[in-house]
Formats: sequence, structure tokens, C-alpha cells
Amino acid sequence: MAYVLIVDDDEDFASTAAIVLRKEGHDVEIELSTEDAEKHMEKRTPDLVVLDVMFPEDDSAGFELARFMRHKSETLKKVPILMLTAINTKFPLGFGTKDIDNDWLPVADFLEKPVEFDVLRHKVSALLNVG
Amino acid sequence: MVSDQNIQSATYELPLAEALPDDTDKMVSGNPLPESLLKRNVQWFCQFRWIVIAILISFGLLGLSPGLMGRFGMRPPGAWPFITGAALIVTNLIFLFFARAKTCPVTTMLNLWGQITTDLVVLTVVVYFVGSLETNIAFAYLFHIVLSCVFFSRRHSLIVTIMAIGMFAVSTTAEYLLDLLPPTSIFISPPPGREASAEPAVLIWNFYLAVGIWLVVWYLASHLSSMVRQRDFDLAQTNRRLMAAQEERSRHMLATTHQLKAPFAAIYSNAQLLQQGLCGPIPDEAMQVVQRISSRCKRLTAEIQKMLQLANLSSASQATLPRTRIVSTDLLLWCISQIEPIAQERDITLKADMRPVPMMGTEDHFKMLFMNLLANAVTYSHRDGEVHIACRPGPNSEPIVTISDHGIGIPAEKLPRIFEEHYRTQEAVQHNKESSGLGLSIVKQVAQMYKIHIRVESRSGSGTTFELRFPVAG
Repeated sequence: MAYVLIVDDDEDFASTAAIVLRKEGHDVEIELSTEDAEKHMEKRTPDLVVLDVMFPEDDSAGFELARFMRHKSETLKKVPILMLTAINTKFPLGFGTKDIDNDWLPVADFLEKPVEFDVLRHKVSALLNVG
Repeated sequence: MVSDQNIQSATYELPLAEALPDDTDKMVSGNPLPESLLKRNVQWFCQFRWIVIAILISFGLLGLSPGLMGRFGMRPPGAWPFITGAALIVTNLIFLFFARAKTCPVTTMLNLWGQITTDLVVLTVVVYFVGSLETNIAFAYLFHIVLSCVFFSRRHSLIVTIMAIGMFAVSTTAEYLLDLLPPTSIFISPPPGREASAEPAVLIWNFYLAVGIWLVVWYLASHLSSMVRQRDFDLAQTNRRLMAAQEERSRHMLATTHQLKAPFAAIYSNAQLLQQGLCGPIPDEAMQVVQRISSRCKRLTAEIQKMLQLANLSSASQATLPRTRIVSTDLLLWCISQIEPIAQERDITLKADMRPVPMMGTEDHFKMLFMNLLANAVTYSHRDGEVHIACRPGPNSEPIVTISDHGIGIPAEKLPRIFEEHYRTQEAVQHNKESSGLGLSIVKQVAQMYKIHIRVESRSGSGTTFELRFPVAG
């Protein structure tokens, strides 16, 4: 059983993803903003973070949190990040594994919205096993 | 609710709608034509001057044969055609050099002014030697007056006209009034009946007639030119407004579509929870309803995805993405691997016959292009069918990719419409309810961006072949 933190301003999606992962036996919590997620992770380090890219007022807040975890936090630098991507106005071609970069996009894998639950289970399991 | 007295009240004033940048200043400033057009005309001026130089020198060479000139009642001109021709050659080369060098609007205008002023001086000399008031040569000034009306503002073209009048007046005054210059003419003697042309009254009449005609021509030409420029300016402004409105509409559509995505994705996720029994068992009838909800959400989300792709492709920013060298086989093999699971579900065999050919483009755009064509080929094939993917170099080493199926085909009369947004043939709808009708619009957009020629061949009931001819990778 692992502790998974879902960081997404879309509460509907976050709740459904949390239900799916709890059924797999994981302990899941949700934060709706990257600022709250940062404070949360200082108190309790997750085994995996499922992180959205776009948040209100900041279209790339997800990237900033990922970079913070990788480069500025000793406790969080090794926590795998599963980034939620989508084709949208800001990132018209979406992202793929070729975009992973230790400086710019320091994440372990991507999950495309709308999310297929089988794919979510598979990727979370793979990342937790690697961890 | 208790208000916090410590929180300061803030105000914000909504600004009025942004106006377009006002270009009226440009119209008034004296640079009415765009710099690129001015530069082209400066060089054209120089090229035209070579003809004038050729005429002067030819006239000088003709003058070397006095017998020939005498036959036309003309006296040999002497050295002046060669001197003026040489002066024009030197100045033309200088102006051409500066015209071809790196310029800005100011230097281009200076070049034009320099050319016109030099031409007027040389023309005054030519007019003097040909016969200022004995011949009609003075009307040659009209060339420069009219050209200045085209290139310059009304005020500046009037300055050119006044310069021409001034130089002509100085030359004729020096020749006829002050006797500072000996009277000259290319004619040996005045033609019969033209002796009166030497009379002062006639000379004065000819002078003022010439000046009067120049001023009238200036007025008409500058007025017409001003009207045409104003119309050009108005058209350009209208065009800018239309483009801004179009961009605003695209942005609005993009933003609206994006906002719809999240709610539909959330509905789909919740429907999946029910479908997968994660919220406990539900009755069969309810399960069917949930499946319908889930299916429609999936379709809508896919359609929104395609709409976003299409809108993004149409946006100006996409055209500036860097283009790289892509190996056709690598790209096509990746696309085939993505479509394979869907093909297997329908027992469709994918057959590839490919030779690597380099292409220039943005990989993600080409992936969209091929994925949509392959998805269509698989979707509209019959079960147990085959889809062929071929890639070879054409006669000029251009990449040619062919994707063909033996599926439902497209009726001939409907072929021209298949690239329209949301267009689907009845046969396509009957075969597959889930398609958005946007796939081939995306293909068309990418083809237009990269100048890819697409040829479609189809027979209803037998299948369709798409042949894509890419530009040669430079």
C-alpha cells in the first residue's frame, strides 16, 4: 500500500481518480492547488504524486511544482511524478515521453486526459514498483 | 457576514475596447508607400534612366554625322548629349549602389529625392540646349512631376513641381531676358511659319502655358494619387480589422472548446466508476444507461480533442514551429504501431511497403496527418480487410506516401467535400457513428501548411486510396 497525492484543481476528476486508486489499496489524498500541495508534502512525503499541469491563474503551475520537487527539496527530489497532460490552448501538441527533461520537465511519466482507469492503474503500479 | 475593517477596498475600471493602432499619422507624414515598394521603385527609376542615357548618347552619336542631321533641319548637337549622358551614368551608378545597400525608409526617400533633383538639373540643361521655348521639350518635366505625385505626398510633389518651374524659369530668364546664356536650339532655323515663335509675347505665352499645364497636371495627378492612397489605406485598415476579428473568433472558439473538455472528461470518469462497479453493483438497465452516457462522453471528448487540434493548427503560432528532417519510415512505423491495436480489434491486416525518404516538417504535425488517414482507412474497412501503407521516392526524390483500403469507398459526387469540417457521407455515418468528421479537415490543414499534394481515388464499395506527395526535403 502506498501513499499517493493527487494535485489537480478539477475536484471531480481528482475524486474519481482517488476512488480508483483507493480500490487498489492505496492511501490517497487530494490537493486542489500547488501551493497547498507544497505545504502538504512538507508535512507528509508521498510515494507518488499525480500532478496536473494547468491551474487557475497559472497555466504551468504543475511544471513549477515538479521543478521545485526535483531541484529545491531534498525530501521530495526522488518522489516519482505522474503528470496529467492534455491538448489545450497553451500546449497545442500535448506532451510525450520525448519531452521529459531533468531540468525543464522532470517527471517520471505522463497520463493523458481524459483518463482511462486501466491506464491510470497500470502507470501508478509501474511507478510505485520502480520506486 | 461581518466585514473585516482592516481589508482595504480596491477599485478597478474596465477599459474601453482596444482600438486598432491608428495609422493616420503614417498617411500624413510623407511616407505614404511601404518601404519595400519605395525601394523597388527607386531601383526601377535607376533602370529606366539607362534608357534616357541611351537616347542622349544615341542623339550625340547621330550628331557626329552632320549630313544626316541637316536632312531633318537639325544642327549637330556637339558635346552636350555626351556630357549630360556621362553625368547621368555617374549619378545613376551612385544611386543604384545606395539603393542596393542596406536601407531604411529615410535613406530610400533621400535616394528618391536625390534622383529627382539630379534629373531636374540635367533635364534643365537638355531643355536649354534643345530649345526651351522654341520646342515642346519643356513638357519632359511632366515625367518627374507625375512620378513625384505617385511617390510623394501632395506637399512634397508640389515642391518638386515648384523646383521644376524654378529651374525652367532660371534657364529661360538667363537665356531670353538677361542674355547670360546664348540662345540655342537643335533646329538650324525656325520652320516656315514658325518665325513668330521668337517674338517675346509668344515666348512669354509658351513659358506660362508650360508652367500652367504642369500645375494642372500636378493638381490632377496628386489628387488622384491621394485618392488611391487613401483607398489603399482604408482597405488595409479594413483588412487588419477583419484579421483581428478572425483571430479573436479563433481564440474565443479555442477557449470555449477548452473549457468544455474538463466537464466532459469528469462526466466520463464518473461514468467509468459506475461501469467498473467501483461504487457497488447497479441494475442491468441502469448499467445500459451508464454505458450510453460513457460512450457519448467519449465521443464528445474525442471530438473536442480534434476541434482543439484543428483550431491549434489554424493558429498563426503553429506555422512558426521549427521544421526538422524526418525519416519517413520511422514516422510511419510509429503511426502503424499506434493504430495496430484498433486494427487487430477489427481483424484488419496492415501491410507496409516502405523505403526511407527524408521529409522536412514538424514531427507532431505529420503524426496527426498520418494517424488520421490510417484511422480512417482502418475504420472504414470491412472486417478481415487489409490496409496498405507504401512510401517511396518520386521522380524528383520527393517523398510519396500512399494509404489505401478496400473498404466502403466514397461516391464520386461526394469526393470534393470530404475535406470539409464536420462533413460525413451517409455511408460513413452508417458504417461508423462515432467519427467526428474532422479528421480529414486536420489532414487538409497540415497539407496546406507544408504544401503537400493529396490525391484521392475511390470507388464506392471497393475502397479508397490517398496519395500524398511531399515537397523535396532541401
